[in-house]
Amino acid sequence: MFPGARCHALRVRLATAVRAEALTGPANSPLWVEDVPASSTEPIARRRLAVEIGRHTTDLRCTLLRYRDGLADLVLVADRGFLDAAGLRAVAAALTGASPAEPPAVFARAEVAPVAEAGLPDWAAAHGVVDAGAVELVLPPEEAGDADSWRTALAIALVRYDSVDSPGWAVVGTDRGALRVTPGTAPEPTGEPAAAGLLVSDVDFGADEYRPCLAPPLPLTFSVWRQDGTTRLRCDHRSGRLSPAQVEQFTRHLAHVHRQVRANPGLAPDEVELLDAVERDRVAALGVPDRPLDTTPTTIDAAFRAVAARTPERVALTDGQVRWTYRELDERAGAVAAGLRALGVSDGDRVGVCLERTAELVVVLLGVLKAGGTYVPTDPAYPADRLAHTARDADLRLVVTRLPEFPATGATSAVTPDEVVAAGSEPFTTATTPDDAAYVIYTSGSTGRPKGVVVPHRNVIALVDATRPEYRLAPSDVWTLFHSSAFDFSVWEIWGCLLTGGRLVVVPYSVSRDPLALRDLLAAERVTVLSQTPSALAQLLDVRHEDLAVRLVVLGGEPLDARVLLPWFDAHPESACRVVNMFGITETTVHVTHQTVTRREALAGSRSVGPALPGWHLYVVDPQGRLVPPGVAGEVWVGGAGVAEGYLAKDELTAQRFTADPARPGGRVYRSGDLGRLRPDGALEHLGRIDSQVKVRGFRIELDEIRAVLLEDPVVRAAAVVVRRDDPRDAATTRIDAYVVLAEGAPRETSGVRGRAAAILPDYMVPSTVTALDALPLTTNGKLDAAKLPPPVVTAKPVDAPTGDDDLAARLREVWGAVLGVPVGLDDDFFELGGNSLFAVRIGARMREGGLPPLHLRELYRHPTIRSVVAAIGNQDN
Amino acid sequence: MRLTGKVVVITGAARGIGRATALACAAEGADLVLLDVCGDLPGVPYPLGSASQLEHTAALCRDRGASVLTAKADVRDTASVRGAVALAGDRYGRIDAVVNNAGIAAPSGKTVHEITEDEWSLMLDVDLSGAWRVIREVGRSMSEQRSGSIVNIASTAGLVGYRHFAGYVAAKHGLVGLTKAAALDLAPMRVRVNAVCPGNVRDAPDAEGRMLREIARALDVPAEEHVAAFTQSQPMNRLVEPEDVAGAVVFLASDDSAQVTGSVLTVDGGFTAH
Ligand SMILES: NC(=O)c1ccc[n+]([C@@H]2O[C@H](COP(=O)([O-])OP(=O)(O)OC[C@H]3O[C@@H](n4cnc5c(N)ncnc54)[C@H](O)[C@@H]3O)[C@@H](O)[C@H]2O)c1
Repeated sequence: MFPGARCHALRVRLATAVRAEALTGPANSPLWVEDVPASSTEPIARRRLAVEIGRHTTDLRCTLLRYRDGLADLVLVADRGFLDAAGLRAVAAALTGASPAEPPAVFARAEVAPVAEAGLPDWAAAHGVVDAGAVELVLPPEEAGDADSWRTALAIALVRYDSVDSPGWAVVGTDRGALRVTPGTAPEPTGEPAAAGLLVSDVDFGADEYRPCLAPPLPLTFSVWRQDGTTRLRCDHRSGRLSPAQVEQFTRHLAHVHRQVRANPGLAPDEVELLDAVERDRVAALGVPDRPLDTTPTTIDAAFRAVAARTPERVALTDGQVRWTYRELDERAGAVAAGLRALGVSDGDRVGVCLERTAELVVVLLGVLKAGGTYVPTDPAYPADRLAHTARDADLRLVVTRLPEFPATGATSAVTPDEVVAAGSEPFTTATTPDDAAYVIYTSGSTGRPKGVVVPHRNVIALVDATRPEYRLAPSDVWTLFHSSAFDFSVWEIWGCLLTGGRLVVVPYSVSRDPLALRDLLAAERVTVLSQTPSALAQLLDVRHEDLAVRLVVLGGEPLDARVLLPWFDAHPESACRVVNMFGITETTVHVTHQTVTRREALAGSRSVGPALPGWHLYVVDPQGRLVPPGVAGEVWVGGAGVAEGYLAKDELTAQRFTADPARPGGRVYRSGDLGRLRPDGALEHLGRIDSQVKVRGFRIELDEIRAVLLEDPVVRAAAVVVRRDDPRDAATTRIDAYVVLAEGAPRETSGVRGRAAAILPDYMVPSTVTALDALPLTTNGKLDAAKLPPPVVTAKPVDAPTGDDDLAARLREVWGAVLGVPVGLDDDFFELGGNSLFAVRIGARMREGGLPPLHLRELYRHPTIRSVVAAIGNQDN
Repeated sequence: MRLTGKVVVITGAARGIGRATALACAAEGADLVLLDVCGDLPGVPYPLGSASQLEHTAALCRDRGASVLTAKADVRDTASVRGAVALAGDRYGRIDAVVNNAGIAAPSGKTVHEITEDEWSLMLDVDLSGAWRVIREVGRSMSEQRSGSIVNIASTAGLVGYRHFAGYVAAKHGLVGLTKAAALDLAPMRVRVNAVCPGNVRDAPDAEGRMLREIARALDVPAEEHVAAFTQSQPMNRLVEPEDVAGAVVFLASDDSAQVTGSVLTVDGGFTAH
């Protein structure tokens, strides 16, 4: 702890002399008198006072600053353990003669207890580094409360700011040590680390200035005292990567929570309102982009026809040797549409399209729309049962495909594009409206079988209108069709291009998998707008890519680690090519937010995916659906022009995930299941999926990431990762358990798997146990059935050869066993038995208590078995 | 301001480079503990700083907003150094930087084999051992607080030889050596030790400096002649001002030089570049 963190200070403005002789007994410290060559209002005087009141001591220091104008400041600084607030006040009273000459006898005489320090909470974190500072709120006197009410309020505010995965209590640091505060029950002392400290004084300091701490003992230290007929609430924060605006906001909310706690002491954390009505409106408006959407609803085919009428002779589509103009494309699609009508397709019918990525695919998709139908794309490369599932689920009567055998489902008939065109060419009319479905795209999501998302024409039109002005999408652009039509990134590629008059270059599957071939195609066709997933772009960056004409890269489909873009920028400076990262969801029509990425963002490792597109808007909410304050993580809800109609034939799921807009009556939002936080500037930070988020000892853990690392191990065929807590009340017992299915013939031993993971993952993400299974237990939907996973196998080694110091080894086994809660063998690895840094500290403490030689944490990391510890201690002795 | 909240101890602060350094530190926001022998030393053929000069330095620093503590302390005397450092600790609770500036230029002017035992001892006692005594007293608390900067005012005489100044040259070379060794000892505790080697510093009237005059006297040449010769010996063709030295000290005392330790910074108008 900084020495100043233990100290508090009091300043008394005086016009009279002080009675230095009044200080006797333990408070008998010298009075340092200094003449300041300035009057009390001059900058020099203020600076001297500021330095003096911030100067720490180990007991008590009394300084008198005398100014030229006859005024003086008595500055008292004391260690809070040496002299408490009442004591400080009594010393001041004795020195100034305000109280009888009796020397003050009020001493705290309690060591200020150290509190283990936790990292800064996510909501306070920022990219920029700031100096230490403070915010101070002046509250009415009746809000003074007491240590109890403020502790409860602070715990509630912390719990609510940790809306997604709070355990329902918070650790608060005080001068008496850390307390685990569960609102509604008595606080319990704990050894857990705290990020927030609380100093509450019940002394009224009247007109005198009080400083509860000279430096914050914990990263965020809150203090409350009475002064000038008001209540002061202050938060001192450390220097570091922290947002002062967020600290200010939290402090305001703490005061708001405290008012509610005082009015109703039994209030549950969930019943507390963090935001008042005005702030709620402000926060709701934060997720709405500055620029409104300017769009005229129409259908995709009508919009295409308008472009084709304007530029009939421009090339619309390129695929190898094929070059079709807008007029040709329009005609060919018209022929497909007429054929489909002849085959019985009528307005609103769903038509399956299962074609390789070719010019023909685009013709058929447009043909379906022209026929008044809704296209349901599937990828010919999909497994047969997935194709069959889609056909059944979408109730497809007709699938246009060149697969020799489309998995038949009885009701579905498969036709080739040629058969469609040959079926008839009678003229027909349709009555499609912008609200009718344009396509149904199936998404896997994390739960259950793929489900069909129904997206109306007007959403696609809105998407194009939302992006056209910002990204200057124009007929001069050349786009790629890189993605499978079953992935909605292709919706953006096809209609983004064709509805803005550009030329669409089909990238055949084989080329899309071959960076060199892709590079050659991009260069030869002078592609200007390239849409990619970050991992696909990363592959392209492995080959020479200078000679491209790309002016706009749109990234989407998965989280972006912007650092991968640095080599792109080296070859394509921001002035020549704009790189935009878009966060999107099929259920909200491809994209939701957009963030231009520059070298600055890439170097900062920014997680911002930007503000919503014009017409789209965002909310971040807690599990109760209430808006959370800016900076606080919660579930992302998306509203506006992109919200899909729902899931095909899944009314219940649709009703669950598509709900009423919390701030715009009549609107609907899609509950994304994604974790994010809205920054004060309206940009969204995307933090991954909610269901894979876990916290272990304060660290946010991505179980998917651990699983991915395990799966990279060549001997691992399948993996599952779960978090367990043996004792629900003891955070130290939280553990990550991994289960793996090993490759046939691989040894049944998992310590190698764990060792490999430990070399890649940060310590706190390394599974404590890795258990081999023959197969992972699955639910009927094919999802992992975590409840059926067996308890982890902790491998205690059977033979215990002697160590040389059996007595020490035996006592160590006792200590380790008691702390870890499992019997411990001589060669058991501390970490494999579920050990972690908290357990290590406890073992160290018990060894000390038991008179055993000291063991540094670092030593334990180096010697994680009892045998090696005994050897290490033996070496120390020699 | 680069020294806000820091407490700087300066020895030999009554006048000259010590005074200029105190003023520069005060202007950068430091609080100061100013020490000087405040009286003459037997064997030194010229008057040293006085209590009145020390108080004047303090008053100038207070005008610049510093809190200042002054004390009479002789760097030859362990008890007096210890007392001054303890006083600084009581008042301010910490010491962030120390400037070992106290020094004498004479008795000098003799060929090496003519120097007496007493002359030799006195020179080393003040100019070399004095700095070591101060380092010994502050080393522990700086090590404990895991921060601190020690600046030793050596001289170009710590880098090259001068005729008829064997004692002074030996002491200043010793001080440069002490700087490097102490830097290595204290680096693990994040305490830095550096030396500044001034060239010929002008006897500025404001600072009441007189060393150049005393050197001329020791060499028995008229002051003007000496000034002219020394000015020409420095490629910048002017004398160093006390403020130039103070600027180097402020840099080394501040966190701007966080990774600078064991270094020797010359402020000599290019004299040692030859
Ligand atoms: N002036 C120069 O040209 C020059 C050049 C290089 C180095 N230096 C060095 O700079 C430092 C300061 O020199 P200056 O020019 O300001 O000289 P100065 O004589 O003007 O000031 C030196 C101060 O040190 C004090 N002092 C001397 N012995 C002391 C002792 N035993 N204990 C405490 N205080 C003592 C004196 O009272 C005096 O106030 C010296 O170490 C000197 O060797 C000076």
